[in-house]
Amino acid sequence: MRDNVKGGALTEVTFFILLSLYTPKHGYAIMQFVEEKTGGRLSLGAGTLYGALNALQEKGWIEPCGDHGGRKKEYQLTEQGKAAAENELARLRELAHIADGIVGGTA
Amino acid sequence: MSKTCCRFFGGLLKAQENWLNRMSEKGYRLIRTGKLLYEFERCKPNQVKYCVEYIGQKSKDSAEDYHDFLEDMGYRVFYKNLNLNVSIGKLRWRPWAEKGGRISTNATTFNRELLIVEKENDGKPVDLHTSCEDKVSYYGNLRNQWLFLLLALAIFAVAGRSAILGVIASALLMPVLVYQAQTAKAKRESRIKE
Repeated sequence: MRDNVKGGALTEVTFFILLSLYTPKHGYAIMQFVEEKTGGRLSLGAGTLYGALNALQEKGWIEPCGDHGGRKKEYQLTEQGKAAAENELARLRELAHIADGIVGGTA
Repeated sequence: MSKTCCRFFGGLLKAQENWLNRMSEKGYRLIRTGKLLYEFERCKPNQVKYCVEYIGQKSKDSAEDYHDFLEDMGYRVFYKNLNLNVSIGKLRWRPWAEKGGRISTNATTFNRELLIVEKENDGKPVDLHTSCEDKVSYYGNLRNQWLFLLLALAIFAVAGRSAILGVIASALLMPVLVYQAQTAKAKRESRIKE
């Protein structure tokens, strides 16, 4: 994760993964979620997703859930992860607000 | 009807990938890999797409975890050896591997340095690494490995005053430079984009 050290901005991939995990999902469903929500603009490679999931798990923002009887591993958001997503939303709102004031004006 | 081919690509990951994709265009999909052998069965032309992924830096557990993850993502995944090495009881240190180097043995990661990833063809190539930072780490790792080989050979060439080793070592500059260019490109992009 290349979180900006001071600003705390998340990468788009990170944020989308967090958003997708408000309901538990396995890897393939996360990839579909991202493609669907962005209309295919953002495509998420399996290797990149794998790295991101591991990094987020290490950080304690997501955790594996469900029984591991089936091999497919499902993940869900932790409280910490939710807080991070909320912070990111607030940051993006602020950013959009500033940008609106300069670029958009009336938008 | 199955078909068996004998090929060796070594470190030419892209060449191996292109060849597999050409086989798929002709209507053959992979069912088994050996050291030199590839076994195919008939399929519809262009039914599947391949990519070759280097995983030699991973430990046994993380390689298996990655393999299983990719299978869960709906790909078919094959292990493949990088080198032609037939010795038994091999033990080798991989200084370029993750976490400051790892020891590789026949029972763990030796001869399982590559993954061949197959997906049903949906018109797009198999793109495993999509973010800039991920590309930086993937290509950077490949570059480091070739660089290590180059340096090792260069030292032997100088120590043994061997012209042949010197020539081989300089030939290794090619992959180092290619991967360096890819790493640098991803790095440049990562400064302003994700």
